[in-house]
Parts: sequence; structure tokens; C-alpha cells
Amino acid sequence: MSGFAKWFAKRSPLPEMWREHMAEYYAPKNFNIFYYAGSLLLLMLVFQFVSGFLILVHYVPTAGGAYDSVFGIMYDVDYGWLIQYAHVDGVSLIFLLLYMHMARGMLYGSYRAPRELVWVIGYIIYLAFMAEAFFGYILPYSNLSYWAGTVITSLFKSIPWIGGWVTTLVRGGTGISGDTLGRFMALHVALVFLVIVALVVIHILYLHKVGSNNPDGIEIKENKGPDGHPIDGIPFHPYYSVKDLFGFGVWLFIFAAIIFYNPTFFHIFLERTMSTPANALKSLPDVTPPWYLSPFYAMLRSIPNKNGGIILMCVAVLFPFILPWLDRNPVKSTRFRLVTRIMLLVFFANFIMLAYLGEQPPLPQFFLPERLGAAIYVGFFVLLPFVSKMEPTRTPPKRVHYHAH
Amino acid sequence: MSDDSRADDQSPDVTRRRFLTALVSASGAAVAGVMAVPLVTSLYPTAAAQALATTTIDLTPIEPGMQMVALWQEKPIVVVNRTKEMLATLDEVEKKGILRDPDCNVPQQPPYCKNKYRSRVPEWFVGIKICNHLCCIPHYRPKKGSVAPWWLGGFHCPCHGSMYDLSARVIKGSPAPHNMAIAEYDIDLHKMQVVVTKMYPKAHLC
Amino acid sequence: MRIRKKLRRFDMKRLVVVLGLVGFLGSFSPNGYAEAHFELKTPHYAFNKATIAAGAKLFAKRCMSCHSVKYMRYEFMKQDLGMSEADVEKYLMLPNGASFKGGMVSAMPPRMAHKWFGVSPPDLSQIIQYRGQDWVYTYLLSFYRDPATPSGWNNHVFPKVAMPDVLAPWGGIVNGQGKVLKKGSESPAKFKAQVTDIVAFLRFVSDPSVFQRWAIGPWVLGLIAFFTFTAYLLKRQYWKGVK
Repeated sequence: MSGFAKWFAKRSPLPEMWREHMAEYYAPKNFNIFYYAGSLLLLMLVFQFVSGFLILVHYVPTAGGAYDSVFGIMYDVDYGWLIQYAHVDGVSLIFLLLYMHMARGMLYGSYRAPRELVWVIGYIIYLAFMAEAFFGYILPYSNLSYWAGTVITSLFKSIPWIGGWVTTLVRGGTGISGDTLGRFMALHVALVFLVIVALVVIHILYLHKVGSNNPDGIEIKENKGPDGHPIDGIPFHPYYSVKDLFGFGVWLFIFAAIIFYNPTFFHIFLERTMSTPANALKSLPDVTPPWYLSPFYAMLRSIPNKNGGIILMCVAVLFPFILPWLDRNPVKSTRFRLVTRIMLLVFFANFIMLAYLGEQPPLPQFFLPERLGAAIYVGFFVLLPFVSKMEPTRTPPKRVHYHAH
Repeated sequence: MSDDSRADDQSPDVTRRRFLTALVSASGAAVAGVMAVPLVTSLYPTAAAQALATTTIDLTPIEPGMQMVALWQEKPIVVVNRTKEMLATLDEVEKKGILRDPDCNVPQQPPYCKNKYRSRVPEWFVGIKICNHLCCIPHYRPKKGSVAPWWLGGFHCPCHGSMYDLSARVIKGSPAPHNMAIAEYDIDLHKMQVVVTKMYPKAHLC
Repeated sequence: MRIRKKLRRFDMKRLVVVLGLVGFLGSFSPNGYAEAHFELKTPHYAFNKATIAAGAKLFAKRCMSCHSVKYMRYEFMKQDLGMSEADVEKYLMLPNGASFKGGMVSAMPPRMAHKWFGVSPPDLSQIIQYRGQDWVYTYLLSFYRDPATPSGWNNHVFPKVAMPDVLAPWGGIVNGQGKVLKKGSESPAKFKAQVTDIVAFLRFVSDPSVFQRWAIGPWVLGLIAFFTFTAYLLKRQYWKGVK
């Protein structure tokens, strides 16, 4: 075997890539539960690809055939229900992981120098996932698909001068139709998916160049042992490969439990209005977005002015891009910055509250909380430059805080 | 510090790690295997495709002596309502000795059709109307003397002249080597319908 | 030092659990249908194959003249519910020319239905997913006589619905205030049980994978749990030495 290994190593970059990114990639030893999200997202990407491929085998991208083909999978294809539920539930679970992943980044300052680009690329991936989810949402051509598609694509109309032209281009006509399905399928299956995969690879490469952050926010590379490796670091393989394998198991258990025992997850992962075919003459009594887009929708409709709402929503979606440059505290992790930590926890709770509000009917009783929620969301980013500069900050220790487990 | 942990590799630890790794690999392979089952079976023909895989033919409109052609799995099925005279020609043709395989020794038909009628019920012939030579669709020529002076009735292929009797048994001199193939079917004379189910695996269509 | 201790106890695992609970509870949204202000009743029944088969027979007799459940193939009644092919043909395949492998499609031509009722009777394959079983159950029990409507019928759960009270012969007729105008051929309890059976059938049709899921679920979860346990042992073995 060693002969073959030598022959292979001379010809393939894989052995040295394995060493650089796995066997000799020293990661901090104090990763906590949040740090499972990254590898779980990779696992989910594989699951979405496999389940999506097997759905594509049976899917028909026409106005007359789409809905029947999707339900044909549920009824006529062996284990079609399993593949379909896995794909739909996978979307919501991916967004859950994404929010956990981003929350970790915000809590521990993983977006700070030298990791600004890791954050920026990651946030682009988040937006790409939103686009991927949206395009996929329209494909079943249910009534929810039709009206969600109509509402979101009409957002483009507010672009100055070229808005109408862009909207027609996106839709393939004046309204959502079978032509829309064709181009959305192309986007969902080929373009956006490939973009996500490419960005994920780049995201990991950029991370590995500077090394992983950790909950204490201290740079382990600044404290190297006599062998030249960080004292607080451990090689990713075998320590984190084995730990992530355990994480896969726990996650798979949760995923399977949902698919087998509550596949619509209380009709939150798979909304009720997906179970009725598209009807251009009968719009839905309540237009609510999927839960993972709901906070931004709540902010959008909190402004009674159409363009104002769209601008606020765009600002809200784009603000996190500049987070690395808003935080001016010398210390990375909020474990040592109580004020920012509290602001962050308020930000998270507020985000969840906005998600709840976005699902409610547009009644006056919700307007004030929605506006308050939007103010808190934007307020966090506006206040951070000042708070981070002025808040009492404890000095982080030289060594990471780690307890054996 | 991290290297110290790896220096703990005393024999029991390595053995235990090897055992646990093997255990994890085995159970992981089992999980992967279980996950592979729906992946592969979802590619089987769907219930919709299977519904199209059988064809039900209503026999009531077929007059005695007439044929009906119906589509089954993209192939033509011929159903002939054979009269007593037509059934009598099956013996005549055998006596004349012009059939290449009168006893249907080559398995071109399901076992229940291995007889001179090549059908479940003598009056109703159900076969695949494809010439055994190069896959053309032969003509149904029941009238005596129509194709040749000695013609007793049967099928005649316009492409290269293959000839078959009224049980689609091939006549000597035809370029076609075997009798025309018969698919598997069920017949219900109360409901007056034939359900063609699947191909007989041993038969060569053309 | 006190602050330090407080932060320590606020560990990530607890934070995740708390946020998860808040998010979970907060994400429940009320059914947003403006029409359903009428309080919905919940049917109580044992969701098993016998109930569903009984509901299928009732559905075929009383509902299929107008409503299809086209995704439900007759052969699924045999495969998933254990009904015999003879039973399926006798009790379910009532429309002429129905094929055993075909879907349960109503004999009513859609264009005529549109002409007679103003709207085609919708396919009910997914009605339980769309409206929920409480809604469908209450709907079937909430028809009343209303001289003001074109059909003479109205429904508390679905005002001005185009569907007439097809079940009136069995369930009786009431007016808008609930006063019984004509008794049905079944007792109220028996009628409710029949409606429940129909709802059970529709619930099965909405998701026929249910029995398969419950059958293989425990095995799949058990296998994954075993894998996770072995992976945990392996992880612990490697991480023992990490200080």
C-alpha cells in the first residue's frame, strides 16, 4: 500500500491538501455546540443535492404539469414522500443552522480581522440560499408558489427606470406562468446551486488561510508550542472529524424524527397553502412568507410607504455586510464585552419576535411592535460603532477556556 | 499539549480506537445502506408508469372475423375474433406441412398459449402485431386466396413478404425465423375484456 | 469577578435551548383564514385502516359523484389498507370505466359542474393538508337552510359556499339558528361517526405515507441512535487525552 501511496503522492495534490486542511489544520480546542453548524451545513448541502436530483427526475416544469408531477412524487414514486419531505424539511433546517452559524460569528467576533472576508463570503452564501429557497418555492406551482412568486418578483418593479423591464425578464412574461417555472428551475438546479457550492469552497479556503476563531476570541496562533503548533490547537483530523461524525448522528436523528413523525413540522416547514394548485383568480387570504424570511417581511411592511418599506428591507438585509467595520473594540468575543453581548442577545430575541410578527395578519395591533422591531434591528448596527468603542471590556486570557469533555 | 494527548497511544488505547473505528464504520455503512434504499427505489417505474404498462381492451365491438389493434407499451396488440371456419384452417395449415414451427417449440408465447390456437380461449387471438423478421407491422389477411392461391388466412408482412397463419405461426419460405410473439394477458369473457399485462420474457419480438 | 462567574454560567448550551424554545413557541402562527371565525370542532377517532376503509366506502357513495381524489389510486386502497380487490371494485369503483390502477376520479364532467355550480367541485386529495381536519369535519356538520342563497343552502364555516348539503338525507336539515327542520335517516351520533369516517379517509388520502412512516420510523431512528452512540464512544476515546 505504501508503494501506491508514494506513487499517488507524487502525482496528486490530494495528500498535501489533506494534510493542510485536515490532518495538520490546527483548530482551537474550545469549540462549543455552535461549532457543529458548519459541518452540518455541508452535510445538508449534500442531502439537498441528492434529494433535489431525485425530485428533478420526476418534475415537469410546465404550468399544467408541475403541481401534478410534484404530487405524483408523493403518491406514485416509491419512497417519493421521503425524498420530497427530506428536501422541504431540509430547507428549514438549513436556515436554522445558518442562523446558529451566524449567531456564533456575531457572539465571538468571528467576523473581525483577519476574518472579514470569511464573514462577507459567508453572508453572500446566506443571500444565495435565500434566492435558492425562493426559486425552489415557486416550482411546485401551488397557490402559495404562485402568489409568493408574484409578490416577490413585483419587488423588482421599484428599481428606478429599469424596474418593469427587470420584472418582465425575471418572470418571462407579465405574470408568473409556465415560462417562469422553466427559468426558475434552471436557476434553482444549475446556477444558484453551483454558486453556493463554489462560494462554500471559497469560504472554507479563506477560513483555513487565517485559521478558525473560537468562543474566547483569542488568536491561538499567537501562542505556539515548541513543535511550532498552537498550544491551544488540535489537528482537525482526527479530533474534529470524529466529533463532527457524532454531530452528524445527533442531527440525522432529529432530521429523521421530523421526516417520519412530523413531516410538515406543524405546517411551518411545509405550509398548508402549498397543498392547493395555483389559481391566478384566487389570491390567498393571508400572504405570509416562510418563517426564515419572515423577519425581513415584518420590517418591510412596518413602513406604510411601499418604496420606504423596500428600502428598509434592503438596508436590513445588507447591513450585516459591514459588521466587521462597525465593531471597533480591541477584543473580539462578547464573552468579555457585557454591553455588546446584551445588545446582541436583544438583537437575537428581536429577530425571533420579528419572525413571529411577520407571520401574523396585517392588523393594526402589530404595527407598533413591527416598527419597534425594525428600529431595534437597525439600531444594533447603528449603535455598535459607538458602544464597542466605549464599553467596559475585560482583558481576555492568554489561554483559551477549555474544560475536558 | 495537543501532541501529549497523541502520545497516550498505549496498546490498549490503539486497540480500542481500532475497535471503535470499525464499529462506527460498520454502523455508518448500515445507515448509508438504509438511506440508499429509497434513493434507488425512487427510480423504479412509478405507479403512474405501471398503470400505463397494462392495457385493457374491450372485446364487445369486435365482430366475428374482425381484428382490433390496441396500443400497449408503445406496441400494437392485435385481437382477432376467430370464427369456426378460421379455427378449422389451423388444422388444414398443419396438414399442409407449410409451418416452420407448428408445435410452438420456440418459446415465443407464454406456456398457456402453447397450443395450435396460441391463445387462452380458441376464439380470441391476442398477439403482438410485429413481424418477427425486422419489426414491421404485418397486414391482417383473413380472406382465403387473397395473398396467394393457397392462402387460408393469416398475416402477411408488406416489407419483405413474411407469412403467418391465423395463429401467427410462421410459414416456411418467410424471411422471418419464428412465430410472432405473444404477450402475457388475462381474458374475462363475462366482462368481455382482455388485459395485456407484460412481455413474455423468453419471446423474441423481432 | 462576580460578572465573570455570571457569564460562565450563561453557557452556550442553555442559550441555544432557551432561544430554541422561544423561537419554537413564537413561530406558531394562528390559522390565518379570515372565514373560519366559527369555532371548529375536533373529530375523535381511532386512525386505523378499518376506519379509513369505512370512510372510503362512504366517500365513494356520497361524495364521488362530484368530488375526485385523483392522486389516490384504487390499487393503493388494496396495497396500503389491505382491502381486497373485490371489495375495492364493489364499493369504490363506482364510476363507469374506472381502472384499478387509475386514480379515484369523479364521473362528473368538470365543465358541466362549472355550469351547474358556478365553480368546479375541487379535487379533495389534499383538502386535509390545506384546511385541516377540524375545518373539514366542522364544515360537513355546519350546513343550514338559507332561503337567501341561490342554492338554498349556506354553511357557517364557509359562507355562501356553492356546495349544497349533500349529506342532508342522512344528517337532517337545520336552519341558521340550529333549529331542526327535518330529521335525517341516521341518529346524530351515528351521522357524526360517518362524517368522522369520511374525514379519516380524507386524512389518509392527504398523506398515504403515514402507515409506512410509522412502521419503519422506529427502525430507522433506532439504527441512527446506535450509530450516534458508537460515534460518541469513538469521540470520547479520542478526546480523553485533550486537556
